[in-house]
Amino acid sequence: MKKTGFTTTIPLEILLAAGRVPVDLNNLFIAGGKSQELIDAAEERGFPRNICSWIKGIYGAMIDSGIEEIVAVTEGDCSNTRALMEVLALHDVTTVPFAYPHDRNPDALRQEIERMMAWFRVDWETVNHAGERVESIRRKIREIDRLTWDDNIVSGAENHYFQVASSDMNSSPDTFEAEIDCFLAEAGARKPFRDRLRLAYIGVPPIIDDLYPFLEAHGARVVFNETQRQFSMPYGIADLVERYRAYTYPYDIFFRLADIEREIKKRRIDGVIHYVQSFCFRQIEDMVVRQRLGMPILTLEGDKPGPLDARSRIRIESFLEMLGERV
Amino acid sequence: MRIGIDLGSRKVKFALVDEGKIVRLESFDTLAFYKRYGRMTGDDLTFDLAGTGLFSAAEVAAASIVATGYGRNTLNLKGVRVISEIRAHVAGALFQVGLKDFTLLDMGGQDTKVALVRNGSLQDFVMNDKCAASSGRYLENMSAILEVDLQELSSHWENPVRLDATCGIFGESELIGQILRGHPVANLCAGVNQTLVKRVVPMLKRFPSDQTVLTGGVALDGALVKLLENEGFTIVVPEHPQHNGAIGCAVIP
Repeated sequence: MKKTGFTTTIPLEILLAAGRVPVDLNNLFIAGGKSQELIDAAEERGFPRNICSWIKGIYGAMIDSGIEEIVAVTEGDCSNTRALMEVLALHDVTTVPFAYPHDRNPDALRQEIERMMAWFRVDWETVNHAGERVESIRRKIREIDRLTWDDNIVSGAENHYFQVASSDMNSSPDTFEAEIDCFLAEAGARKPFRDRLRLAYIGVPPIIDDLYPFLEAHGARVVFNETQRQFSMPYGIADLVERYRAYTYPYDIFFRLADIEREIKKRRIDGVIHYVQSFCFRQIEDMVVRQRLGMPILTLEGDKPGPLDARSRIRIESFLEMLGERV
Repeated sequence: MRIGIDLGSRKVKFALVDEGKIVRLESFDTLAFYKRYGRMTGDDLTFDLAGTGLFSAAEVAAASIVATGYGRNTLNLKGVRVISEIRAHVAGALFQVGLKDFTLLDMGGQDTKVALVRNGSLQDFVMNDKCAASSGRYLENMSAILEVDLQELSSHWENPVRLDATCGIFGESELIGQILRGHPVANLCAGVNQTLVKRVVPMLKRFPSDQTVLTGGVALDGALVKLLENEGFTIVVPEHPQHNGAIGCAVIP
């Protein structure tokens, strides 16, 4: 089966309906075991140093994996993706643009979805059929999320992993579902965590690989992973267009904040980590986040893949100490 | 009796406090201190505190030790309670200035921290990240280029020469360019001090308070204090700004 890469979460249902193997290039980049090498290779080819590492990693993962087709999200994510498409065209990669309409207009989104369906030669019946299949897996992921904040038996890292992997179902829905079933069976027998602090993690998924265990070693567990949860289409909406209209990540910050505020309240959060990627426009949105969420926020910036640097560790420890004195 | 230790990037600072009174303050060059008196035993770092001659054997035996600083994160200190820098500095400022509501600006060898303190407790804070151009080390480099000592550098605040480089190293070549243009040294010194202000003001404005407590070695820079006052801040410098973190360690509950 032919592999199709994508630059951020897209209607996975269409790729599965078309019999493609979906590959979220972010996951391939970060989990492939050679993320720094991929960035180095991209920089050697001319990508600037002061550009987001994810875009370089996606480029590197594309070239390294030999995937020949990519769905590139040109609106609703990162404008660097447009230049990435142009550079990939030099490598004879077929690029399929996909744009989330900024105003969440349902007709415009339907048009985009139907344009993508036409490209992959699939109709609504097969797409909806594939949708039922992935929704059945997403329901289980929602249960993992609930076990994280409600039953307190799932770690922040596990919550992150299953939700972030749901963007492409680890390229194999059946295998992924079996892994989830196994996990649910094992987690059900656990004793609840006794955390001192409950954290929300908002912003794009971290490029840093040891954040969650570091937090947990200090008695603080992430019980809400904002964007990762969004990747798993958490609302159980039957209609495909409405499902991707309710998905908050590609739309404006205020739409995202409505979801964040609701979940912070529901999950009894003590403090928020707002992760921002170096050189990303979302760093600017930190101003809005700070003004809107009336609670302690640590803005954590990450640049390259790997463990937390000493300065970030100091900042996190201080933040947790501060929270510890408040609760 | 308690000994507070602040393991800074340039100096290790000590404070011996007994029954709420500062008995002695000391400092030591960081590298020399680690080389001479530090020893790794397994994964733990131990210090031969008595060997430094700063404290008597009786004091070392009687005192509990609390430490903070950049070094604490990469090292396990044996028999020492370790706290975060931000907590240490807030505790030190509370002890030294006796205020309950203030913004703390700590400018050390590499770090700049800004913390909001309300009713005696830490509410929020920011730290410099990625870049240490608003630090004591930057002032040391610039004074070397200008061939003036730190005391001279920190006495000029009028007519600052405009310096724009965002990088402490590019800043050196920019400064050399301004020297060649014939600006008086006093104005160049003022320009260097002004660059510090430009870097810290956005951090300070995030946490506005009626009073700003300035600590760390850079607090000894009188010109910086003057320039910050010109920006509308009321600056309070405690009696021992360089030892503020060590004092905080020695007094924190």
